[in-house]
Amino acid sequence: MKGLLKNNYYTVLPNAKIFSAAAVLSGIFVLAIGHGMSWLIIGYMLLVMIGFSFSSLAGIRKENTTKWSRHKLCAPVRRSDIIKSLFLSQLLWLAAGAAFAGIDIALAVMLHGYPFDRATDVFMLYVAGIGISLFMGAVFFPLFFLGGDERNEIFLLFSLLGGTGIFMGLTAWMNHLFPAGMTPLQIIGSGMMILVCGVLAFAASCPLTVWIFRKKEY
Amino acid sequence: MDIQMDNILEVRQLSKRYPKSEFALNKVSFSLPYGSILGLVGENGAGKTTAISCILNTVQKDSGTIRLFGREMSDGDTDIREKIGVVYDGENFPVDWTASQLAKVMDGLYAKWDHALFQMYLKDFRLPEHQKIKHYSKGMSMKLAIAAALSRRPQLLVLDEATGGLDPATRDEILDVFLGFVQDESHSVLLSSHITSDLEKIADYITFLRNGSLIMNVSKNDLVYRYAVMRCRESQFLALDPDDILAFRKRDFQTDVLVADGKAAARKYKDIVIDHASIDEIMLLLTKGGQT
Repeated sequence: MKGLLKNNYYTVLPNAKIFSAAAVLSGIFVLAIGHGMSWLIIGYMLLVMIGFSFSSLAGIRKENTTKWSRHKLCAPVRRSDIIKSLFLSQLLWLAAGAAFAGIDIALAVMLHGYPFDRATDVFMLYVAGIGISLFMGAVFFPLFFLGGDERNEIFLLFSLLGGTGIFMGLTAWMNHLFPAGMTPLQIIGSGMMILVCGVLAFAASCPLTVWIFRKKEY
Repeated sequence: MDIQMDNILEVRQLSKRYPKSEFALNKVSFSLPYGSILGLVGENGAGKTTAISCILNTVQKDSGTIRLFGREMSDGDTDIREKIGVVYDGENFPVDWTASQLAKVMDGLYAKWDHALFQMYLKDFRLPEHQKIKHYSKGMSMKLAIAAALSRRPQLLVLDEATGGLDPATRDEILDVFLGFVQDESHSVLLSSHITSDLEKIADYITFLRNGSLIMNVSKNDLVYRYAVMRCRESQFLALDPDDILAFRKRDFQTDVLVADGKAAARKYKDIVIDHASIDEIMLLLTKGGQT
């Protein structure tokens, strides 16, 4: 697993370097001019969380342009471990995105004060960023191994839109369950339910992807 | 070549059909003894890569048995894969990586990864460690793949068209590395190639494939010392015993006939010119020529 995680890390690294530089620069920009512009911070937090996850998914595609995907199958690892490492890597990159978001919001609070109306807003932003990323991964991985290489770009886009769509659908459902004037506890409860759904979808996607990958021929 | 217990690889009645294509590997059998090099020969689309993919389990065979180190390899047999080094034609690794990054990944994947040996190969092959692979030439990329395969300290090296597209000097250098590798009697090399001169130089056994079927499986010594090509005029060709003809090819003024025993043919057909057969010529006769 150690080698596979290193493999995934180096595969994503070129994209992640560029994205990290962009995240740092845009973070500085948000902090510099973001006073009273909470939408900038909202955009930044979602961008870094979803963006790092997206980069990790986009990086995997590059393996299929060389013989490396065949090489991995010849390495002393099980096919299931290859898939598990991809899921784990996406979680690690999501954690990196969440850390960037956390640092930026913490600095924003220190420099400009709390930028949102409600105390639960930061939590809900994390729910959105993490939820969309998890749904996106849950959709992408099985499609990536099920479809041919030539469809990777469309699957990547589809999983981003699909992940966002599932999150929006669940949010709409929560709003329907708890009409206007939700208490903080209800907001946190709704957020937790969305997160649980995201985690379950991500966890269920892993054995499904393993099942698909076991049949895959290179 | 009989299949024996002292084979590092045994392939028996291997079949594989791709549903979306007409190609099928059809009951192919061969074996690779310890301490030797087997060349898998055939024109493009003959089934060399399919056979290798089945051996390495990257595609699933339809039927037959493949035994590596005496065992059939399943997905869970990671200990067997630990003993196999693989080199493919073309880009073997993500091109954004450096050799140094590759080494870190390999170190995590292979328990027996020998970093000092890898460094030695990088130095010997003059490969810059911190340059991205995409900036390597084709020869450098191939050398890196071979360095990475050997630094796992494998017992079996599987090379799928690994010398294709290399210049003669680089090919020669790499073939010497393979010869050095099999100096250890516990090591073997399975080399697929359509560059028959490479096989002529290093292979101990040659397996010919055509259209997914095995057409010949011989030791190189037999090829060199027994097989021969008769240069026949039309009338001489018509007078030949069909049982003596393995394959023939009509040319402008003569017909080349491949025979399994050149000495016997020389005794039987005293007025016919008989030459030693090169692998290249045998391959041409077997793939392009007619058969009785």
